Amino acid sequence: MNYAGEPTGVYFLIDNKSFYASVEATMRGLNPLHTLMVVMSEQENTNGGLILATSPLAKKHYHLQANVSRQRDLPQDENLMVVPPRMNLYIQRNIQINDIFRRFVADEDLFPYSIDESILDLTHSWRLFGDTPREVAVRIQKTVRKELGLYTTIGIGDNPVQAKLALDLYAKHTADLIGEIHYETVPEKIWTVDDLTEIWGIGNRMAKRLNRLGIHTMNELAHANPYLIKEKLGEIGSQLYATAWGIDRTSLHQPYQVKSRSLGNSQVLPRDYRTQEEIETVIKEIGEQVASRLRHHHVLASRFVLGIGFSYASAEASGRSGFSVGLRLDATADDAPIAKALIRAFRQQWQDETIRNIAVYSSDFSDDSSYQLSLFTSFARHERRLRTERALDLIRERFGFTALVYARSLTEGGTAINRASLVGGHNGGNSYE
Amino acid sequence: MGAIHMNNDLKILLARIKILFKLQYQTRYWLTVVDDHFDHTYNFFFHSQRKHQRERSIPVHAVDTYDLEYLEPLIQSLRKVYQFSITFVGFEDEYWPSNHRIIQRKRLWDE
Repeated sequence: MNYAGEPTGVYFLIDNKSFYASVEATMRGLNPLHTLMVVMSEQENTNGGLILATSPLAKKHYHLQANVSRQRDLPQDENLMVVPPRMNLYIQRNIQINDIFRRFVADEDLFPYSIDESILDLTHSWRLFGDTPREVAVRIQKTVRKELGLYTTIGIGDNPVQAKLALDLYAKHTADLIGEIHYETVPEKIWTVDDLTEIWGIGNRMAKRLNRLGIHTMNELAHANPYLIKEKLGEIGSQLYATAWGIDRTSLHQPYQVKSRSLGNSQVLPRDYRTQEEIETVIKEIGEQVASRLRHHHVLASRFVLGIGFSYASAEASGRSGFSVGLRLDATADDAPIAKALIRAFRQQWQDETIRNIAVYSSDFSDDSSYQLSLFTSFARHERRLRTERALDLIRERFGFTALVYARSLTEGGTAINRASLVGGHNGGNSYE
Repeated sequence: MGAIHMNNDLKILLARIKILFKLQYQTRYWLTVVDDHFDHTYNFFFHSQRKHQRERSIPVHAVDTYDLEYLEPLIQSLRKVYQFSITFVGFEDEYWPSNHRIIQRKRLWDE
């Protein structure tokens, strides 16, 4: 294989080992690698508790999955420490970590990828910090460990996909927490992988589809007929073939263009909701939340989708898991017409099922500097309402969402007040305000 | 600095502990104070453990005044209200200013 024409640089993919649990360990003066700890969200709607993060030792000890598991999968062990999440603290730590990275790369070469992962393009700067990229990696690890107490895992590659594979396949399993893949080491590092699902981008379903083509290992994928793969699996197949050869032609510096934007909110209810009034309270609350976000982004939306998910028992009985209704309105970001339309749509479809999930999404945005006049509502009235809502937004921005709420949110079914303090559905944190 | 400041930290601590301290049957309660070398704060955690069950650790407060002269009277006032044990973490080789006694006797295995 001739890699001469392929883009070549020095890329690091850095992730934090068990991020949330590690942050909690350091706050308690404990070593993140030596602590038996789980971070558990006990919000009302998590049904007894949801494990958000597990320390490396706890993972090993209790054979827990890396991702979210349930409280009931966790043994009652006296040596295990259970702590509540503090999402705001983790966001703050993530910013501090990225600030450390910025000492090693220019701002435009740092790409935060998720709350605990960042991509660094060190092509132009690594020589300033060491004789080899690995030396620089060790230096970054030591800096983060010294200043924040956290352990970082680093994948090094000649392009982003190699760095990602180096991280997943090697860095996470070695003592020094560093993995490296380069064009010349692709055969020994990637082709030796026998379990396809270990590869980023290949899940169980994709593995099965590859199996059907007679491909069971990365070696077989790399030496399969690329035209056949493309014909059978489409564009994604070509991409996986490129991954097998460690090839990645994406440029991180060109921002990804989203085809169509949408904005929405959804929530799992803390219990089954049965009465129309309770359900409509939450639909209205979510609708208002979406409207407020539209105003914050200075856009109007003309398409809305209401999604309703039934409770398990109701889904069994009625044979459908829920329904979703699309609505088209005159472009708007007002609470009242959005809530009204959503509730009307709900009444049309709802047949007394009990409900556990509610979602509202909006799309087809236009700029809020223009407004579609209507024959049926006076502009003066519209403007008055708009000014009220703007004022409401401003007050909430300054004093918090709960400073002003609709009385309806205080009724039995309302969830807005409780959710206002959550980040991503989990406890945002306390006592560190 | 001074008394007003401390009263505020003490008030927060007492109010939050009160909510968590439920005096349940066969349950051990204790408090951990951490010298947080990274943020330069003293972090307080409320721990509880029911017999044969998992230990729970809830953050209660972080004291910003990073000074033992300030921490010592705060702990003393706290002890006047609650008598459960207090574990100190991250205070190796540090001594209470008033009587020069060592704060943390042994290092935890997982520190």
